[in-house]
Amino acid sequence: MSEPVLHAQGLAKTYQSGDRRIAVLRQVDLEVRAGETVSIRGESGSGKSTLLNLFAGLDTSDAGQLAWEGKPVVLAEATRRRAAFLGMVFQSFYLIPEIDAFQNVLMAARIRGIPGPAERAKANVLLRRVGLSERATHLPAQLSGGERQRVAVARALLNSPRLLLADEPTGNLDEHTGDAVVELLLALCRETGTALVLVTHNVAHAAKTQRSLFLHDGVLRETRVGE
Amino acid sequence: MPWYLYLALKQLFPTGRFPFFTAISVMGVALGVMVLTIVTSVMGGFGYEIRRMIVETEGEVTVRPVSLVEDVPATLAKIRAVPGVVAASPYAKGPVMVMSQGIPAFPVFRGLDLDSVNAVTNLARFVSPVGAMDDLDDDSIILSSQLAQTLGVRLGDAVEIYSPLLIEKLKSDEIFLPRPFRVVGQLYVGHQQLDSSMVYGTLRAAQEIYGLGHRAHGVNLRLARGASESTVVARLNAALPGDLHAYLWMESWADFLWVLNLEKSINFFLLLFIVIIAAFSVMSSLLISVVRKTREIGLLGALGASPRQVALCFCAQAFVIGVTGTGIGLALGFGVLAIRNEIVHGLTNLLQRQGTLQQFYQFTDLPSHTLPSDLVVTVVAAIVISTLAGLLPAWRAAKLKPVEALRGE
Repeated sequence: MSEPVLHAQGLAKTYQSGDRRIAVLRQVDLEVRAGETVSIRGESGSGKSTLLNLFAGLDTSDAGQLAWEGKPVVLAEATRRRAAFLGMVFQSFYLIPEIDAFQNVLMAARIRGIPGPAERAKANVLLRRVGLSERATHLPAQLSGGERQRVAVARALLNSPRLLLADEPTGNLDEHTGDAVVELLLALCRETGTALVLVTHNVAHAAKTQRSLFLHDGVLRETRVGE
Repeated sequence: MPWYLYLALKQLFPTGRFPFFTAISVMGVALGVMVLTIVTSVMGGFGYEIRRMIVETEGEVTVRPVSLVEDVPATLAKIRAVPGVVAASPYAKGPVMVMSQGIPAFPVFRGLDLDSVNAVTNLARFVSPVGAMDDLDDDSIILSSQLAQTLGVRLGDAVEIYSPLLIEKLKSDEIFLPRPFRVVGQLYVGHQQLDSSMVYGTLRAAQEIYGLGHRAHGVNLRLARGASESTVVARLNAALPGDLHAYLWMESWADFLWVLNLEKSINFFLLLFIVIIAAFSVMSSLLISVVRKTREIGLLGALGASPRQVALCFCAQAFVIGVTGTGIGLALGFGVLAIRNEIVHGLTNLLQRQGTLQQFYQFTDLPSHTLPSDLVVTVVAAIVISTLAGLLPAWRAAKLKPVEALRGE
């Protein structure tokens, strides 16, 4: 049994809305092991993105514990650990418009430190792997939605993260392109041994992961796809 | 290169499109630096020209007594023995009344020792006709050009000079007649003060007008090329008796130079506001950039960028704008300075006011002399102010929490 890369226990998060307190997450327990692929579904507003932000160490929970590779996540240290430990893919790609596809991929390495020849070579390999070696010098505005998301996937994997968090990565793509991006994500995670937590509305995409979870009423439950 | 510098440069100068916002910010700083460079250089030019004119008409150092130089030959011998002194020439000077055809004027009469004056000053090059200095004798004078014009005097005309001693003599019921002189030349230096109110004659004539006998009012000195002016002045003051004191040209004209420096400092201070206004433009465009790039800032945080690095990215942009704007401003400033006289003459010709400039300003051509210290102050002020303008946008960007910035969608 491989060691857990992500361990969450009793995570809770409440938002204040005027006089009301809204409990988005009540009791979230999750363990993701190295190389494991997990999907999380849930209704809009159920707290999926909030949960992903907690997993990424971008936000703090009101209660519970979170650990990356067995080490508790403290917000103050999360920024430093994040670049090496995890990659993120978002619905809106979030590519930097002023730099080309290659430099967007390399930005992950730049933030971790000064990129050397090894990082540059790896960026080229990843771009080739996502089918964009011919588009490496193109600016994001010159790429289609699917191509932009593939650049974002390559960027998320550049630092060889242990965990990849994907927040509705197909939300802005047509069905065919979305299928291709999810296939690519799963294939790359399989090849690199990276654990994947995929937040999606798409049942078919969820069915392709090893475990499928459903977030409802602030609690994460194991489910069979189709339920 | 650290990512925040790389991204700062890419955001300022993106590939494939004209950096419109950057260009506006840079041009704001550039205009400020250009104006500062031009004004400080022109003001420096005034100072430099004044130095040149003072040195060329009076020498670099003047030795003045408390009252009069009693023993001129002995004093000259002492002065000439001081290392660094190349030449010395005694003079006498004071206000007189010049009368020609019933028109009075009240210039300063400066009596020159014809044997030594050319070794100390370059007066001859300002006198017309050429060689007029050689025609100067105890019965002739050279008038500054505007004074000659005011009096309506031409070469060869006679004028009468009234000494201030006239009043003293009248008190004791004596008659002191005006001294007639023949005009043998005109002096044009290019400095309004010198060109409008000076009369040059011989030392003997001045001694006669002021009743000095063989005494003089002072001695003008020329120093060796490259000699330290202050060192030579110190040596002179050590060598001369207590009633004689050596003054550097700057000390002799200290009040005038102080006013000139004050004017320059005030101009610099006021024009610095152009750079400050440009800095607000830099701040405004960077604040807009922070708002436009909120989600990108969130992404950088998600990729592992620290708030300090995000802040540095925006500070670096302000710094680069400041450096680029300063560079362009210096180039524009020196470009304008190179054609300043063409611009001034073009404007005066266009407005048909060619004479006005000469009438009210010290020089016919616009002088320019850029002091390295002025340049350093301008460059440092422009870059520091521009960089400070990036602090507020940088602070706002650093304050954004990645999770909230990403939620901005």
